[in-house]
Amino acid sequence: MVSLPGASNFEIVAIWIVLAIAFIGLAYALLLRKQVLKHDKGNEKMQQVWGGIREGAEAYLHRQLKTIIPLIIVFTVILFFSVYIVKPSEGASLRFHNYSEDQIKLIVGFGRAIAFILGASFSLMVGQFGMRMAVQGNVRVASAANRSFAEALKIAYRTGTITGMLTDGLGLLGGTVIFMIFGTASPDALLGFGFGGTLLALFMRVGGGIYTKAADVGADLVGKVEAGLPEDDERNAAVVADLVGDNVGDCAGMAADIFESYEVTIVSSLILGVAMYATPGLPSYHQLMWIIFPLLVRGIGVCSSIIGTYLVKGSKNDKEGNAMKSINKGFYTSAAISIIAFAFISHFYMHEWRAFFSVVVGILLAIILDEITKHFTDGHFRPVREIAKNSKTGSATLLLKGLGYGFEEAVWQTLVIALTILAAVLIYWGQPAVSVLYGVAMTGIGMLTLTGNNVAMDAFGPIADNANGIGELSGMDKNARKIMDHLDSTGNTTKAITKGVAIGSAVIAAVSLFGSFLTDVGSVQTQLGVVASKVISNTGIRISVPTVFIGFLIGGVVPWLFSSLTLNAVTRAAGLIVNEVRRQLHIPGVIERRVKPDYQNAVDICTVAAQRELIPLALIAVLSPILIGIFLGIEALGGFLAGVILSGQMLAVFMAGSGGAWDNAKKMIEDGLYGGKNSDAHKAAVVGDTVGDPLKDTAGPALNPMIKVINLVSLLCAPVLVAYHQTDAGMITTAIICAVIIAGSVMFSKRGGFKSKPFEE
Amino acid sequence: MNRYLYLCITPESLISSMLPPEEFGSYMAVGTRKQSRGQVIFFEVDQNVANHLIPWDYVNVRCVPKDDGTPKSSVYLSIYRVLESVPLNALLSLYLVTDDGKTLELKKQDYQPREETKTHLHLYQELCPVTPLVASSLPPAKYLKYMTDNSLTVAYLPKLLFVELTLDKLADNPESGSAEHLPYSNIGHLRDCLMTLSDEKEKNKKTVNRYFNGTLLYRTLKNGFFVGSKDELLYYPYPSMAELEDKHYEFWRSI
Repeated sequence: MVSLPGASNFEIVAIWIVLAIAFIGLAYALLLRKQVLKHDKGNEKMQQVWGGIREGAEAYLHRQLKTIIPLIIVFTVILFFSVYIVKPSEGASLRFHNYSEDQIKLIVGFGRAIAFILGASFSLMVGQFGMRMAVQGNVRVASAANRSFAEALKIAYRTGTITGMLTDGLGLLGGTVIFMIFGTASPDALLGFGFGGTLLALFMRVGGGIYTKAADVGADLVGKVEAGLPEDDERNAAVVADLVGDNVGDCAGMAADIFESYEVTIVSSLILGVAMYATPGLPSYHQLMWIIFPLLVRGIGVCSSIIGTYLVKGSKNDKEGNAMKSINKGFYTSAAISIIAFAFISHFYMHEWRAFFSVVVGILLAIILDEITKHFTDGHFRPVREIAKNSKTGSATLLLKGLGYGFEEAVWQTLVIALTILAAVLIYWGQPAVSVLYGVAMTGIGMLTLTGNNVAMDAFGPIADNANGIGELSGMDKNARKIMDHLDSTGNTTKAITKGVAIGSAVIAAVSLFGSFLTDVGSVQTQLGVVASKVISNTGIRISVPTVFIGFLIGGVVPWLFSSLTLNAVTRAAGLIVNEVRRQLHIPGVIERRVKPDYQNAVDICTVAAQRELIPLALIAVLSPILIGIFLGIEALGGFLAGVILSGQMLAVFMAGSGGAWDNAKKMIEDGLYGGKNSDAHKAAVVGDTVGDPLKDTAGPALNPMIKVINLVSLLCAPVLVAYHQTDAGMITTAIICAVIIAGSVMFSKRGGFKSKPFEE
Repeated sequence: MNRYLYLCITPESLISSMLPPEEFGSYMAVGTRKQSRGQVIFFEVDQNVANHLIPWDYVNVRCVPKDDGTPKSSVYLSIYRVLESVPLNALLSLYLVTDDGKTLELKKQDYQPREETKTHLHLYQELCPVTPLVASSLPPAKYLKYMTDNSLTVAYLPKLLFVELTLDKLADNPESGSAEHLPYSNIGHLRDCLMTLSDEKEKNKKTVNRYFNGTLLYRTLKNGFFVGSKDELLYYPYPSMAELEDKHYEFWRSI
């Protein structure tokens, strides 16, 4: 199966071991699933509440699948025929040198299409299985809270780890299998794999984000504000939709998001590894180590995540307050194991330390981004305390302070990412440009080494939150509620922290893809006989060229357009939920608890509203780089990508930071600061939280996959744009079609459909 | 089914009900069909002692189970000068209800006045029959006496229910003491009021806010509720936050 001309025995064995590790990761997920499922689901009341959540989650997943499948089929066909527009890469000719050109096209076309389906399916599986497991886990956590803190923590974290290990295992499996089959031709197929995962992540993120906040904001506005019902009150018709939304947004959406970063970094590192393999002048020219090292690093990451996540458990004597400590212990153990193993591989296999340092910089980047996120969003640090303090003078000052800190966080995170890239430059100082880009890609690989831990931490959040909701709705006793309150609060912190990693990894992945874009375009230009002085890898992206600057500006506004549309969608969907909850509260008997509200109706409204927005937003992300590439040229497309990355990253960090800080400021006040609930300070903080929620859970997270979709589409269509002239009839027609579809999508998204009236009317 | 008699403070009314205190509190806060909602503070009244206040003919007709057999929630018996007319020895436990319907029972205890420095200041929220927020240099028992004794003031009240609120460091140092977690957001104004009391020794009370907005911040209560007239005082101590979290978790979580 493995075709790697020039590979040593060690390399062949190592690749098989990496493949085995991918399966071990999946087997570990299965083992944890078995362990989790053997726990009891509590009493009848708990199972009744849980049944509503499970049904809602299933309804969402089914509907999402129905919406997505037609688009997947269309893209599979497009990707298959893409090789007939631009011929496969040199690596493909090298790998399949025994075949004719037509046969190679057929193989690569199939490979790319199947890899696309594989990437999309894996991403879908991570999201859907992860979410289903989260739903299975939450009721068991609630039941375990009746017995002990340690057991509840173990079940919650292990349920989250299942999603983490699915992400790890499937990501590694896909990349390794494609590499084993396609060898030096793997970049041709991996583009499809990455694109599949990214497109699905965009769907999951956007859909999940709209769903979760529509339910949350709608439930709060009527339930809490109008009717004075407490959080998770059974009389609120949107309460189940709210609980389902936590899974949809923070479990399915986040897992798919990190999965695609995981895929995309392996895609870009293998593309750049192949480029290094073929770059004359490098000391290890025509050696496979650049291609194999990223896979080995990933394999080590899976092993260290297995060990680290298994260590997360509370002892029987544990009191509250130790959940975060235990989770951190697992995380840092994994990090330490990884670093030691990387050093070992670097010394005995690579015989050089540059790649090692790049990977370690990536791990440090993940830790530093964690700390920055924590500093700006955790109530133990000054920013959130200051924001909470400003609630005393009203919502305006609270909002201003939160905006200020959100902007500041974007500055620090961007500087840290810039320093990381600088570190890659310094590590590969004096080496060709492709080496520096490879260093950046390896930073991304390092950053996502602990994906298993990160996704587990993130999924832990909705599981604990849902368990608490089940506890509230089923009237569990106070000791169990205390345990679940504590786990819920820890879950809020872990969710916020992993958001920082998700955004950071998205940017690093996008920068790696940007590097791959330059490499790919340069190589196609060289193939087409463009003079060396005009090849993009030599000229760079010249911002002084007016068309490039225009591309840069347009790239900069795309994340703003995207955010505007997602926020509009949430407002519209929340409006529908507000009306529904209000209607149901007026049904005789609901308020007196004699009649149960129809929870499923609110779930259906959220599901439909979230899916309706998916296709137009995806079309904007997919078609905008094609439009820019055709109208303004390939170099301007590079400028466009730079604009998207810069503006998207800062906007995403800002929204996640401000939203998280407002949320925790409100929680601090609810815990007793400045008068506690019902005080003027609390009212101001509720305003901040309501503004911040869709920013941090819908618009911000949706930008991560959007940035990568745009980068991957650019990478896929770059050869076409180089090979064909802008004045070709086909190109002009394509550009016009793209422009019409984008305009239509924006119009559709702004109005919530072509015929329906906006909610505001 | 039993019948209970309640003296509700928000708003002042005498109510006959078939619901026991916890259920009555929850009903009044969030359970009415009209969807009226909000905090509730009420006393359970000993029907034997207050027998003369109960129109039994009316109660026997109105306060009966509904057609479906469920208990009658509330029958209003009086809505004017109720506290004044209920004898103090008829007042049983005091109940605090959050705006989402969680109820806390406070039992009567003897009041032991603490020793205080002369400069120590207090903040009182009067709850019935009038509702201003008042800063005072008088400790609770003296404040009650001052407000209800016609020999000390012309504008006296027959009876008064009030609660002491936290003042943080402002209680001893109104000019520069730290003022966190207070029940009144206009700190500058509060400092001015307290400084007036410190500077003008002949003044022993100053109105901070004329009207109570109807929501008591339960996390900012200092030591408890006081109700009485002249030298007769009933004290309902309020638990510390730690005790609330430990023993009354649901209530603590709601405030």
